[in-house]
Amino acid sequence: MTKRAATLLLAVVLLPSNAAHAREPFEDEPPPAPPPVFPTPDPVAFVVPAGLYYVTDTYVADVVDTSDATTTYSTATVHESTGTYARVIDSVDTGASSVFDGTAFNGRGALTDGRALAGTYYENFVLTPGGYVPVSVVFFQDDSETRRRAASSPSPSAAASSRAVTSPAPVVGPRDLRGISTPVPSFRPQTPIAPVAPRLRAGIALAPDGPALTSAEVLRGRLIYFWPRAFANDTAVAIRSWRLLSVQPDYASANSGGSEPFAAQWLRMPAPGVRWSLRFEIFTEVAPLERLEAEITITVRSPALID
Amino acid sequence: MSHDDGGTAAVMTLVMLPLLLVVLAGALEFGALRAVAYRVAAAADLATLVAVNDQDQTELERTGTLRLAAGAADTARDYFARNIDATASALAASASDIAAAADIASFPTAPAIDPRTGARYDRPTVRLIASVPVKTPGLAVLLMPAVTTITIRAASSPR
Repeated sequence: MTKRAATLLLAVVLLPSNAAHAREPFEDEPPPAPPPVFPTPDPVAFVVPAGLYYVTDTYVADVVDTSDATTTYSTATVHESTGTYARVIDSVDTGASSVFDGTAFNGRGALTDGRALAGTYYENFVLTPGGYVPVSVVFFQDDSETRRRAASSPSPSAAASSRAVTSPAPVVGPRDLRGISTPVPSFRPQTPIAPVAPRLRAGIALAPDGPALTSAEVLRGRLIYFWPRAFANDTAVAIRSWRLLSVQPDYASANSGGSEPFAAQWLRMPAPGVRWSLRFEIFTEVAPLERLEAEITITVRSPALID
Repeated sequence: MSHDDGGTAAVMTLVMLPLLLVVLAGALEFGALRAVAYRVAAAADLATLVAVNDQDQTELERTGTLRLAAGAADTARDYFARNIDATASALAASASDIAAAADIASFPTAPAIDPRTGARYDRPTVRLIASVPVKTPGLAVLLMPAVTTITIRAASSPR
């Protein structure tokens, strides 16, 4: 009797039961798919001119210093990065001619005897979506000459050192030694003083133009895109290639790539106190041979009830 | 058993049967009420879990940290209504009305203090408190309310 009553009671309790409507949390999301295919640029457009480097010192003016009988011809610069690039195209000695004579926007001066000054020609570039575009040529003079002393002793005023800046300020067109103004180009180029290697660093972002992050929280099962990024003197530069160095997540779109992002998904939770990280090897278009590393720490989280 | 004992047993059965039936009906009704309460609580849990999956993608890209989307509370309300609709036959109000009246709060950033419960949340959290009226006709037979209101609470966060 007791068993029957218990059975009856159980039946009455269970009969009105309905199926619970649980929801699959990712039902609205498409299944993990390979990362989007981004159009690769024309490889010709992104050919990096040989010897190209990032400009960190820009041209200001041609300088002429006179001390006693020696006159020195040099170039004044300012330490400034404006996002342009440059390369050396020719170095010339005193009096030697160059195929680039007449192409520099600041001209090429001459000694008092008429010989052309020694120095270096630089070609300036800007990086556009279509590649590196040459914009101007500048001549960095680097020469000196010594006059013969006159028979009579020089006067004190003549012995005093003097300095002349032939193009005193960047707002006006540079002048050559003959005092002739050269036309100011419509695009004011930023020129280098020396081939100083740019300060490169790499990082990982969660968006194509997002900031580089050192850590990120991700939801378990969610597909996350990681964008390797590189910066030259804090200016973003194009990525040539990247390669994953650390352990794999549960799903990874690829172990290496170029301009496309790295897609990853974690299905497992880490052990308590354990944090995973992704480490990448990155090469840039600016310095294709320089190896950079970037790392981001991953914290996998999963929605859970709170007591 | 003698004839006299048999008569006594019959009389005792007749006297005790109504009482036994009342006890049985009460037990059945409370059991059914408990089952409904479990089901509604599960519906609330699932609704908050779904809402926690709604994350602010822009904030994640900017800072790398999880932050609840602006519509997380609305998401929880929507799925709470959908989930308790499966129990509609046992409820004394419509699922949408119950969900609309529910107190659902979203705490997008952490730490946060829940002003209603005083609870401290160390992660972005969605909290749901709802009063659910359940039909209890069996209790009405026992001269008790025909509708019993149960209060359920759920909270979820990414951990």
